[in-house]
Amino acid sequence: MTYALLITVFVISTCGLVYELIAGTVASYLLGDSITQFSTVIGVYLFAMGIGSFFSKYIEKKLVFTFVQVELIVGLIGGISAALLFFLFEHVENFRILLYSLVSIIGILIGLEIPLLMRILKDKLEFKDLVSKIFTFDYVGALLASLLFPLVLVPHLGLVRSSMLFGLLNVTVGLWTIHIFRNELPWLNTLRATGASLVIILVGGFAFADKLTSMAEASSYPDSIIYSTSTPYQRIVITGGGKEIKLFLNGNLQFSSKDEYRYHEALIHPAMGSLKNPENILVLGGGDGMAVRELLKYPSVKNITLVDLDEQMTKIFRDQPAFSHLNDNSLSNPKVKVINADAFVWLRKNQNQFDFICVDFPDPSNFSLGKLYTDTFYAAVKRALKPDGLLVIQSTSPYYAKNSFWCVVNTLEAVGYKTLPYHAYVPSFGDWGYVLAGNKPVKLDFDYPTGLRYISAATMEPMLSFPKDMQPTVHCINKLNNQALVHLFEKEWGEYVETH
Amino acid sequence: MSKRISRSAFLKGAGALFWSLTSGNWLAGCSNKFSFPVRWLGPSMALGHAIRDRTLTPHKGKPEEKKTIYIIGGGIAGLSAGWWLKRNGFDDFQIFELEKNVGGNSSSGQNDVSKYPRGAHYVPIPNEESQYVREFFQEIGIIKGFAQDGKAIYDELYLCHDPQERLFKDGSFQEGLVPHKGLQSEDKKQTERFFKIIEELRSAKGLDGKPAFAIPVDLSSNDSKYKELDQISMTDWLLHNEFDSKPLLWYVEYCCKDDYGAIPDIVSAWAGLHYFAGRRGRAANGEHNTVVTWPEGNGFLVEKLREKLKNHLKTGEMVTQISNEEGGLKVSTQAGDSKKAYQCEYAIFASPRFLADYLVKDYPKNLPGSSKKKNSLTYSPWIVANITLSRIPPSRGVQPAWDNVSYYSESLGYVNATHQNISTRSSKTVITYYLPLSSFEPKAGRMKLYTDDQKKWLKHIIADLDKMHPDIQTYIKEVELWPWGHGMIRPSVGYVWGEERKLMQQNVGNIYFAHSDMSGISNFEEAQYQGIKAAGHIMDKLGHKPG
Repeated sequence: MTYALLITVFVISTCGLVYELIAGTVASYLLGDSITQFSTVIGVYLFAMGIGSFFSKYIEKKLVFTFVQVELIVGLIGGISAALLFFLFEHVENFRILLYSLVSIIGILIGLEIPLLMRILKDKLEFKDLVSKIFTFDYVGALLASLLFPLVLVPHLGLVRSSMLFGLLNVTVGLWTIHIFRNELPWLNTLRATGASLVIILVGGFAFADKLTSMAEASSYPDSIIYSTSTPYQRIVITGGGKEIKLFLNGNLQFSSKDEYRYHEALIHPAMGSLKNPENILVLGGGDGMAVRELLKYPSVKNITLVDLDEQMTKIFRDQPAFSHLNDNSLSNPKVKVINADAFVWLRKNQNQFDFICVDFPDPSNFSLGKLYTDTFYAAVKRALKPDGLLVIQSTSPYYAKNSFWCVVNTLEAVGYKTLPYHAYVPSFGDWGYVLAGNKPVKLDFDYPTGLRYISAATMEPMLSFPKDMQPTVHCINKLNNQALVHLFEKEWGEYVETH
Repeated sequence: MSKRISRSAFLKGAGALFWSLTSGNWLAGCSNKFSFPVRWLGPSMALGHAIRDRTLTPHKGKPEEKKTIYIIGGGIAGLSAGWWLKRNGFDDFQIFELEKNVGGNSSSGQNDVSKYPRGAHYVPIPNEESQYVREFFQEIGIIKGFAQDGKAIYDELYLCHDPQERLFKDGSFQEGLVPHKGLQSEDKKQTERFFKIIEELRSAKGLDGKPAFAIPVDLSSNDSKYKELDQISMTDWLLHNEFDSKPLLWYVEYCCKDDYGAIPDIVSAWAGLHYFAGRRGRAANGEHNTVVTWPEGNGFLVEKLREKLKNHLKTGEMVTQISNEEGGLKVSTQAGDSKKAYQCEYAIFASPRFLADYLVKDYPKNLPGSSKKKNSLTYSPWIVANITLSRIPPSRGVQPAWDNVSYYSESLGYVNATHQNISTRSSKTVITYYLPLSSFEPKAGRMKLYTDDQKKWLKHIIADLDKMHPDIQTYIKEVELWPWGHGMIRPSVGYVWGEERKLMQQNVGNIYFAHSDMSGISNFEEAQYQGIKAAGHIMDKLGHKPG
């Protein structure tokens, strides 16, 4: 029995160190700066162990019973720790509080283990022998854990599975102890049943670790995911709850089927309704085909060229009936030519000129997207625009990011466009901004097709007026070598996210 | 009891901390195999050593071809000499380059992901007096025109895109390379004072009316007030001016290594200050500290020159001797095993000067580079690693920039080759990591460069990058290592304004010299200036009128 308990020391010391390493590694993955994360995790963990050791003296009776309980709880909490941290990262206000609480709980329990075991063994061995043996096994266990972790566990099992595996080991130690002391322990069956159910939970967790990871993603979307894929360029997720279908790119909402008509009518019709018989159209971005759907409402349109980066995206919205019905199969229309290319690169090679160009890119939230809002880019667009043609650009929200919005206007004017900014209310997004631009001052006309739900001559007028809270406070031009827009956008949306 | 436990736990914890701190080193040290391909390239070693060992024999026979001018070396100096001749309507010349491709220090490479530099990778906005650079930039469309105030308008695709630089310090990246976050007030004061002095020096003019620090250096003022700065080291200058702020000294050392591959103890104060005060260029559409750069670095400029000179290039052909014979200069060459000889009236030796003694027959004993003379020319050895990544690893602080530097590294950090791309298609990229072996004597550094295990270099580099980006190894797809034994001339104390450099400007009979080592500063502007100067001298001799 003595040796059985000493092997226990070995196992629990391995488990203890593995939990510590897992917490440190997960924290480094999620928060970055591994030096800080490891230092603080280790510090908190050691301190918590001290607390556990300190309180061990208050446990007077039922030493074995307590030890078994500790093992089962450590097995559960330690076992699911990695999964818990990954899962809750998106959902908790302050991840660090969760992290350090979890580390503290595990630390306190681990701190209880060795003192309890020593006291259980104190009558079976001479004191000097006891101390020597316990610490020998403890240290050897530590060595084993520190070698296993980087060489075997992380590369072959991953963090979620590793923690489940070691939780299982802790529970096994508990069950084994129950078995050894089966004649002394109270509530034997309850303990056994608890142990057995923990084994099931942890084995289940180990087996379905991959599912858990995707569940973690699912839980950050409010509705159920009906389609998701990772392309070389982005993560596409489509959710559907009831009748509402939403498209997310890299976690950012692109449209909701409930009100996307507002966004896309406002994007297309102010320009198209002002043009006389527009025939050749260019759409940059807009791979979901919604803008094209609106364009096809004009019988004068002869051909539409859609340039979108992502082949997967245009394929989903062309070939999958569940999604292509949203754009009235616009991408299969013979007038439409889909080109999967980089808009900037494509534009520099393009020789054609268009009556209308629609620029519908994601917001300038990073430096590579920021390049698609620069004066150099708009100059390239200008070469593709007919002298009487019009251009529209989705330009983020003039309410949440007013200076970003006006920066797009300034940048267009800096390369010689005459502009007409306007905005529309789209419930899913909020108040949203667009800029109409042309080589000559833009003259609005209201020659709209029938059947529109949002845009009309009457709604256009208020869309042109910008109240005081949408007026800019800085003036800047976005260039490749200053990326002024990305800096502004980061600041403005950052402030908004912080205060809400 | 609990004390014992906490000690045991402490040791465990300390072990874990040690592991986390050194995992880069340790993991790299453990694995002798890398999961990605590694190539060790570099200038042709066998040829270089054959020259050094003097095992090459010149061609015995009579010259088979004849030109007025032969240019030896297809780096920026040689190519610029050719460009200048051609621009002035002179066509009877040929350039020899021993490597397969021209470019020298401005060479570049390419893989599926991107083009990338193997050496020089940018040119600062040229100054008013850097007339040749401006002419060249205009000719190839980098400068598109001029604003009303006379400032040049640059093609913005080539101006370094924002964000230009970031510095890793105290656990996260900050904007720019001058440390500015979390400084003591004394550090801030010194930094401000330093840049105030620089600002004054930047606009300073000598008694002769010339700028104190000009690009090219030969257009700088002759005023001894400034030239005296060449007699002390940059470190001494900092000391005299009571600069002892660590972050500031770090920055100055970084800059010395960046431009000269050497530390401030060795670099002369004149050269050290020239780095800062020499750059006065202004663009109509860019900030004053901006640069022009391309994914392939100055390989872009090489390609433009190569295109213009394509009928004048003989690559893969090594010059083994230039000798004065009856009827003119004889240039012996070797391509593989086949030897040839050429005859010309003039030659431009556009190669580093330490080679002159080996290749120019009867190279005067009193000139720098002669083996009879105590060697005064020192060249810094470098290693450049081009590392293909699945993406720039995530990090704390500001987003990835063009130039990414660590406060805690002896390297110069890395430059992102795809930074100038207008494509958003792929996150894959190539980063170019620059490591000057500035902590060694150049000879010892070269020895280390060529004798140390190549895997050891790679491990060293990965461990260094790991400090900026933990787990960078998991992002690496491919590595190309490129050693530069004689990477750049060192402007040591007394070199720029000393006797040696003056002697180097002399021609030897009809052989003219052109290389940035004649300026003491190794960059595009100086190499181009030296090339054009040599070409100009010869055209004068020939009585060739531009046209």
